[in-house]
Amino acid sequence: MGREMRVTILPEREVREVRARTVADLLQELGLHRDAHLVVRRDEILTGDVRLAETDEVEIYPVISGGAR
Amino acid sequence: MRCHTCAAPANVEIRRSRIAFCARCYPTWFRSRVQERIDHDRMFRREDRVLVAVSGGKDSLALWHALTRLGYRADGVYIRLGIGGYSRRSQEKCERFAEQHGLTLHQVDLEENEGFVVPDLRDARSGKPCAACGTVKRYHFNRVAADLGYEVVATGHNLDDEAATLFGNLVHWNVDYLGRQGPVLESTHPGLVRKVKPLYRLGERETAAYAIIERIDYILEECPMARGAKSLAYKAMLNSLEEQQPGTKYGFLVGFLKQGRAALPGAGADRAAGLRSCVRCGQPTTAEVCAYCRLAERGRRKRARSGSAAPDRLSRSGRAGPGPGAGRDAPHPGPDGGGGPRPAVVEPPARPSPSG
Repeated sequence: MGREMRVTILPEREVREVRARTVADLLQELGLHRDAHLVVRRDEILTGDVRLAETDEVEIYPVISGGAR
Repeated sequence: MRCHTCAAPANVEIRRSRIAFCARCYPTWFRSRVQERIDHDRMFRREDRVLVAVSGGKDSLALWHALTRLGYRADGVYIRLGIGGYSRRSQEKCERFAEQHGLTLHQVDLEENEGFVVPDLRDARSGKPCAACGTVKRYHFNRVAADLGYEVVATGHNLDDEAATLFGNLVHWNVDYLGRQGPVLESTHPGLVRKVKPLYRLGERETAAYAIIERIDYILEECPMARGAKSLAYKAMLNSLEEQQPGTKYGFLVGFLKQGRAALPGAGADRAAGLRSCVRCGQPTTAEVCAYCRLAERGRRKRARSGSAAPDRLSRSGRAGPGPGAGRDAPHPGPDGGGGPRPAVVEPPARPSPSG
């Protein structure tokens, strides 16, 4: 398991420090559904298998909308 | 993970299909899926004028972007719902998108033209106005399209929306709504414009990825009125299943559309039988007074009671003269989401010339 990295969760820009080896691990660690979020690093969307380093700064975009559509 | 098209490192994975794409190839794949659905479900033709219902969110702006990139003549319509800062910010997103891409955006301002706003329509039991908001939006989308001569209204409903609606209608056994759920809602009355959902087989995550890669500036925040909405709970449940079994949402929706819907009453069309004109607004409805007029009346009364100044409905500006048009559509409210006073279509102050 990697060391803690800085994660910003949109849209409120909540900042969390999380240990995770991959993008899929990161979402699991945060208790977030993979189908309901996108993980972005330096403007690039990452697939679940991408390995993360403790120096990485990533943003998590929720993708779910509710209410009357 | 490698791109299915060019084998470069991938950015977006489609777990249900076990494929992935890089950021360069993904938009092409996304648009090809949209095109494939337009063609397969015969949503509209090359020469049709399409009105895209936009909210400022990722789905509707991604749809508008994809349709224009595919070469369709697509204009937008935005309803100013009056949900405080959220509405102002979403309006700005739509206006900016239209301006950046040289597209036409029509707008309807509920407060100015109709004398109420969506927060006036909160349900007494749930405290939420979502169902009423849906009726209001469908009514105006249809009416603007009918008044301005568009052949079709396209909405950004995606796979997650449609699967959640199906789930909700099954949970409550809304057989009537189930029969009318689908990617194409045919017109059964001259005042009801055909409605289509070109994104219905693309997941919410896939439309968000398209918006991010294409640098579409969309509103990320959730509608404050929708917090705690049942649709969000249904989506969370479906995503829990999807986590374990990728493809669950797709199989659930597409299986229903292919196998289940035909057995239900009213499949794929607005109710044709018993449609008459609303006594107040003249729109097609199954009731004496259409659902929209009843809601609008309720909203105006609420506004009057709370002391908010109801604007003079006769002094509204804009175009869109009288003519047939009506609210309609499936999921929650019935097809009698009829009319109300004429909506004023507010054109943007300055519109660059279309550039495709």
